[in-house]
Amino acid sequence: MSAAQRLGQVSGHISGGRSDGGRAALLRKSPDDIVVTACLRTAFTKGGKGGFKDTAAADLLVGAFKSLIDRSKIDPALVEDIAVGSVLPPGGGATEFRAAALAAGFPVTAAVKALNRQCSSGLQACVDIANAIKSGMIEVGIGAGVESMSLQYGPGAVTEFSELLDSHPESKNCKVPMGVLSEQMAKDKGISRADQDAFAASSYQKAIKAQEAGLFDEEIAPLKVSWENPKTGEVQQITVSKDDGVRPGITAESLAKIKPAFAKDGSIHAGNASQISDGAAAVLLMKRSTAERLGQTILGKYVAASVAGVAPLLMGIGPWAAIPKVFEKTGINKDDVDIFEINEAFASQCVWCANELGIDQKKINPKGGAIAFGHPLGCTGARQVSTLLYELRRTGQKVGVTSMCVGTGMGMAAVWVAE
Amino acid sequence: MLEYQTQGFNGYAVKYSPFFDSRIAVASSANFGLVGNGRLYILGLTANGIQPEKWFDTQDSLYDTAWSEVHENQIVVACGDGSVKLFDISLDQYPIQSWQEHNREVYSVSWNLVSKDTFSSSSWDGTIKVWSPHRPQSILTLPTHSCTYSSAFSPHSQSILSSVSSDSHLRIFDLRTPPSASNHLVHLIPIHGGPPVPGMASRQSFQPSECLTHDWNKYRPNIIATAGVDTIIRTFDIRNPKAGPVAQLYGHEYAVRKLAWSPHLSDLLLSASYDMTCRVWTDGTSSTPGASGGAGREIGRLNRHTEFVTGVDWCLFGSEGWCASVSWDKRVLVWDARAVMGR
Repeated sequence: MSAAQRLGQVSGHISGGRSDGGRAALLRKSPDDIVVTACLRTAFTKGGKGGFKDTAAADLLVGAFKSLIDRSKIDPALVEDIAVGSVLPPGGGATEFRAAALAAGFPVTAAVKALNRQCSSGLQACVDIANAIKSGMIEVGIGAGVESMSLQYGPGAVTEFSELLDSHPESKNCKVPMGVLSEQMAKDKGISRADQDAFAASSYQKAIKAQEAGLFDEEIAPLKVSWENPKTGEVQQITVSKDDGVRPGITAESLAKIKPAFAKDGSIHAGNASQISDGAAAVLLMKRSTAERLGQTILGKYVAASVAGVAPLLMGIGPWAAIPKVFEKTGINKDDVDIFEINEAFASQCVWCANELGIDQKKINPKGGAIAFGHPLGCTGARQVSTLLYELRRTGQKVGVTSMCVGTGMGMAAVWVAE
Repeated sequence: MLEYQTQGFNGYAVKYSPFFDSRIAVASSANFGLVGNGRLYILGLTANGIQPEKWFDTQDSLYDTAWSEVHENQIVVACGDGSVKLFDISLDQYPIQSWQEHNREVYSVSWNLVSKDTFSSSSWDGTIKVWSPHRPQSILTLPTHSCTYSSAFSPHSQSILSSVSSDSHLRIFDLRTPPSASNHLVHLIPIHGGPPVPGMASRQSFQPSECLTHDWNKYRPNIIATAGVDTIIRTFDIRNPKAGPVAQLYGHEYAVRKLAWSPHLSDLLLSASYDMTCRVWTDGTSSTPGASGGAGREIGRLNRHTEFVTGVDWCLFGSEGWCASVSWDKRVLVWDARAVMGR
């Protein structure tokens, strides 16, 4: 019962609650809070060869939805809207995702939309649902993300640019491949290969340690799928419950031997960039008052999100632009945050953002990131919610931030509080 | 106007005895209630001014007090160390009962005015507890999950309890409902919510802000007034919990710390604020014959305190305007509200 806390409370009364803003205000619970009552993901498997290589994105989504209903015990008829972030499906995925929701057991009354904000689609889906609940449009919703990079990754995902777009210098930059522009950015910003490899190796090491300790077990929902054995051509039924990209024995030295992928004298290679993967994730959201009425377990709450634009060629700096923006909205700073989940699209951009924002390395991706277990584009933002909330809860910490850079030059960030 | 100095102790709450028109109790704390002892004063209003009859010292700050409605000598206090203590003022020094169940500062205590055999307490620990003076443990714990500055029994029903808290919500509990997941909660009213606008799906609302005080109207059993950090006093009709506030009274420049409806006039409300004033309000439903009614407004103001005013109470007896106020200026003022009212 400290005098400082009492003083903080009284000064909050006088200043209209602003002086005890920041972390204390974040931890306060209100019936209007948008809370997460269940969140999970499938395992992430390697594109083209992993356990989900023959499974369609929509089927992964069905698996994630079924597990979500199962775990939360939510009456599917109460879910009014489902937003699914996905980047690669032709036609945006709207048709097959609606079908997936029906196949998973949601009644026809549960609406579904597909959305695409590149690598932040999964987060955008959660934010859209949270905003819809906040505004009173719906009461219960699901934010999700899915990607089958095995089946849908390729040049077909981007429409040819018109002459008009090609003639505008900044628009033209939007189609520069991620690897190429990140290589250039690493060079311009002076991010050394050694720094990138060290960061990537630590991601692998953290992930294998977490996997061996079973720290992903809570967030991963095992999924049974058919899988064609490439050697025998035989189709088998397998249960996928582990990220297969995570592997032991990776060090900065072993990564140093890999040849650069995008330029002869470059620094980016397969070992310090995110893996191409398949996976799905889903997050069940509602108001705290609704959760209490329905007897749902509250895992954490969504606080706020930000989106920021940056130059297309510097898309990797997105988190650097988005994170301070969400701090401003919530009145907190980097010291108030216990864990940052910043997507590791490339080690180069993640290291640069972390250094530039002055974030303690120990707070970033404590269970590893996309370099170690993969980045199924549209899924990642929804995946981070599970990774973050379960880790915050396990370690008894509270405040987390999820963030990622976004292709064509954007960044998104969101603040979450575990309970 | 009568005055008494609570030397060394900053006032936090004042209550008139329900049995004697000449007796008031003051809960006070050293060092502005931030750290140090608390003191409960029992004061007598005499022909020679305010005389101390007795005081009781406590280890930690005192934030509120409530007289027993059945025993004229008994009184409970809300302590900073999480305890609720019952004193008998015919005895010296020590409480006759001390309950240590709350995990943080207790901010309010309120006696059940109908059954008179129970009282409630509310705390920073996010709970309300219901007690009987005769039982060693609390009877019931109601969660609010947020710092609950004020809880009160309805003066019209022995089983209806209300609270306001830092989460900007007014809660109504009905203890007759079966215990269930909802913990007797029957209404959860967002204080910051605006009134509905016909034809609009969403309604104008204010930023949520901490609610510090509330009181049940003594004549209209469904009307509650609330106020807090956003300085606006609001009244709600709990028969229509979704309708938003009935009246909104603007005027205080800083947070409102305490509200009390008049025991004599159904539209009259007294407030105490961090802006160092006490103000008298009508909520616009004047019951006085010949009065025009109309919009709620401020009708009088006491400017005599020189620090945050933390407590006010009306005298239940005699002519219709006597009240008392306490403040961080270490003074208890007993005054006639009619003297500051312009009507």
